[in-house]
Amino acid sequence: MARAQAEQQQPTTGMTLIVMVGLAIAFLLLMAFLNVIKSGNVLSETNLLFATLIFYAGAGALYLGFGVTGTESYVKFASLATWLGLIANTAAVAHRWYEAGHAPFSSVYEMLLSFVWTLAVLTLVAEKKFGVKVIGTVTMPVAIVGVVLMQLLRTEVHPLVPALQSTWLHVHVTLAMLAYAACALSFALAMMFLIQDNMKTETFLAVTSASALAIYAGVVLTRFEKWGGLSLVAWDPERKSEVFLSRGVRLFVSVPDLGWLLLLTTLVVAAPLFLYLVSRYAKIVWYFRSLPARWADTFSMRGLGDAGATGAWIKIHPEPQNKEGWALLANRAVFLSILLQIMALVMFVVRANDARYPSLDADGLFPTSLAASPFILSGLVGGVFISLLYLLLLWRRPDLGRLLPSADDLDRITYKTICLAFPLLTLMIAAGAYWANQTWGSYWSWDPKETWAAITWLVYALYLHMRITRGWRGRRAAYFAIAGFAVVMFTFFGVTYLLPGLHAYA
Amino acid sequence: MALDFRAVAHKSWRTIASIQTGVVLLILVVILAAAGTIVLQRPVTEPDEMQSAYSPQALRILDAVGMTDVFHAWWFLGLMLLVSLCITAASIDRFPNSWRFFSRPYKYPDESFRRASHPQKSVAIADEETGLVAAQRALHSLGFKPERVVREDHFGIFAERHRISEMAVYIVHASLLLIFFGTIVDGLWGWRGTLNLNEGQTSNIVELRDGSMRTLPFAIRCDSAGQENYKDGTPKKWWSNLAVVEGGQDVKKKEIVVNDPLLYSGIRFYQSSYGPNGKVDKFSLVATPSTGSGQTKEIALAVDDTVPLDADTTVRFAEFFPDYAVRDGQVYRKSNDLENPAAHLIVTSKRAGESNAKNFDVWFPPLEEVADNSKSPWQFHATDLKMGHFTGLQVSHEPGQWAVWSGVVLLGIGLAFVFYVVHMRFWAVPVCDPKTGKCSLWIGGSANRNRDAFEQRFNDLVASVEEGLKTIPSSSPREQVATVVAN
Repeated sequence: MARAQAEQQQPTTGMTLIVMVGLAIAFLLLMAFLNVIKSGNVLSETNLLFATLIFYAGAGALYLGFGVTGTESYVKFASLATWLGLIANTAAVAHRWYEAGHAPFSSVYEMLLSFVWTLAVLTLVAEKKFGVKVIGTVTMPVAIVGVVLMQLLRTEVHPLVPALQSTWLHVHVTLAMLAYAACALSFALAMMFLIQDNMKTETFLAVTSASALAIYAGVVLTRFEKWGGLSLVAWDPERKSEVFLSRGVRLFVSVPDLGWLLLLTTLVVAAPLFLYLVSRYAKIVWYFRSLPARWADTFSMRGLGDAGATGAWIKIHPEPQNKEGWALLANRAVFLSILLQIMALVMFVVRANDARYPSLDADGLFPTSLAASPFILSGLVGGVFISLLYLLLLWRRPDLGRLLPSADDLDRITYKTICLAFPLLTLMIAAGAYWANQTWGSYWSWDPKETWAAITWLVYALYLHMRITRGWRGRRAAYFAIAGFAVVMFTFFGVTYLLPGLHAYA
Repeated sequence: MALDFRAVAHKSWRTIASIQTGVVLLILVVILAAAGTIVLQRPVTEPDEMQSAYSPQALRILDAVGMTDVFHAWWFLGLMLLVSLCITAASIDRFPNSWRFFSRPYKYPDESFRRASHPQKSVAIADEETGLVAAQRALHSLGFKPERVVREDHFGIFAERHRISEMAVYIVHASLLLIFFGTIVDGLWGWRGTLNLNEGQTSNIVELRDGSMRTLPFAIRCDSAGQENYKDGTPKKWWSNLAVVEGGQDVKKKEIVVNDPLLYSGIRFYQSSYGPNGKVDKFSLVATPSTGSGQTKEIALAVDDTVPLDADTTVRFAEFFPDYAVRDGQVYRKSNDLENPAAHLIVTSKRAGESNAKNFDVWFPPLEEVADNSKSPWQFHATDLKMGHFTGLQVSHEPGQWAVWSGVVLLGIGLAFVFYVVHMRFWAVPVCDPKTGKCSLWIGGSANRNRDAFEQRFNDLVASVEEGLKTIPSSSPREQVATVVAN
């Protein structure tokens, strides 16, 4: 149905969406203006962030419209909106910087502010310089989620503890942001390469379903409480920080019944992957049974095995067909999972403020806050986003193929972004080591964040060696770029939340 | 010997220098380092936390294989050495080839090279000289310094830029080895520890990470230390005025703050913490005689100070509790934080004619179970309590640091060359067909990276040569040679 709608839209010039987005932006700006008149405060950070959000949202809608319909005229307006959003974003960063007296990198909120800014800049660079117009379809929604998260995490200007008062910290964090943004870009480009390289849509189904499943399984496994509750970190509204029982031990509060919903969503999210595996069951079994013959072939190069064994084996055991019916069902399941995910997200946002916990020092019960669980929230939003991207691919694949640069170009641009990311990673680690040396008296202490930064560096070093000396191109290089970004994500989020260490600030 | 020693050596060399070995080793490093962040590590974890996290058997096995201290285990060090060896071997293995390339640039492409080269282009020319001059001018206009190559009976033009780029990867590898070298030196001869000093205190004993003590050849004195706060009470700055005392003399003085250490004879002192040491610096009191007659006195005491109040009476500051608790008529120290302080004064009075001195326990606050404040011949009123502070210093000695930092700088330079400096070469060779007498100018180019951008540049060059050929009049070769020499 949606496909039919999209096809109807195509012949028009796409003015409808532009006008709609334009009107929406104008309306929201008017509302903001009225609000400004009422409060009399023009250049506050809230207003700047609100303007940023409005423009990015407009740009995101237009880029999505472009991604879905392929109407070229959207891009012009989308980048205009991105430019305006970027101006507001820059002003917000500058305001924060001025107010705090230090570069905005010291809390999760300030890091997000800078990250979103970098993302918008990179989007414009990728679009103008490399002609990857569709990139905004991916990056702008991420920027929007970032700005929304900032609204939740809004903090007062926190003074810097002594250890953080160093120019090297700013150098370190700026480089980290730039490096990670470049890694993210290389990941997006590698994904686009796989699309252009005619990777099967079902494979993307399996991957998107598995990623969403990983998010939900992660949340459910760590936070599911007995009898269907979901435990969240307690939030101290006075101090605007998480509540700690003792050093490093957070107080968890259970939100009743929310756990069941997330468990159900997890099952539904797993369904497409399950159906995919069922549809490929015969083939997977067939592949595993053929392995001895394949190994014989491999070893025949060293004079050990039997050349041509695979061919002989396949002659006897023909490759079974996939059961397409199941695959179609899997696509339906994706649709269902998106609906349920949105419901889980809404319920989470609504209920996250509901749990009560008794205060440790004062009498009375305190509510939990959505602001205390930014990573679960971004995980849930990310899940919806990944699944929506799959739908985009499923419905508009031929158009995407037309819009994206050729596979060769994408391969080369991916490599170039990694050539940019790698020196940045190196300098980031070096600046961090220098700072650590000034602060803790040791440039390297094998703290988990450091170790994972080194691992990230090694993974990209491997990529470069494989590419330069072994001539890896195409799929294998793309898989490597994707794996590299997965490691980056773990270093950025996973280490902070799963592994203890010195990097307690960020 | 049955085994051919040289063959084995050669094979080992090939193995250690191969990229596969390097990749396998790096993957191993990645896996083990990741394991080291997931398994709790002894140096940074309390022993009881380790015991509650793992069962005794599991802990014994983890300890035995070194998984609880991966980054200091002998096998991890061995692995890093293998990686270094692999980098060295791979570099040595590939270096001669690159060096030949670097030291003896290939200036005149022979026929087989011309056939295989990409990108290349042939442009029709009237005669050899015209072509050469056009190529020379075009390269000049692109910012190159072309040179004319003469081989027995051939001419050619050769131009290149950034030949050093061929060496960049060796710079990177060498810088990595330098960094490894520095960390190994630090691992073997370096040490780290802490030194806590009270204001005014001098010490030369550092407590190392493993709990042992190390005596420095000089002492450190803390003259003063302090903390500045933000308005909301969170600390903004810690500072300490330190002096290095060697041979009884102050040889160096510096105010250190976080991120700005004191360096003396290779040993660095970092500000790492600051806080109350639970000791009283000055306790100020006003004393009045209980009888009401007599002079009111203002006194200030440190712990163990004794001060006379009148001819018969003295007061001693006996004890101080920063955070007290009373149980069974005894006062205990709960912690060193200045939460709930109590002070114990003993007033000793010996009237003339009495044989024994009488002691009165005066407490602040007047603790019912132990205090006899009211019986004391003097009454006290506390006016001020000044606490002593300690400054927490991290001390470290890292003799390999210079190698690490120079390695880092070199690595940055090397990577900049690897990624952003392209070795570009251009050749132009006039080729005349002896049968037809027709001549063409063969133009070829090569770049060691970023080939698509290079092709654009190559096409520009070809266009420029073609443009130039139109403006150069096809005059006699002799004249042309003269102009070239004049150039």
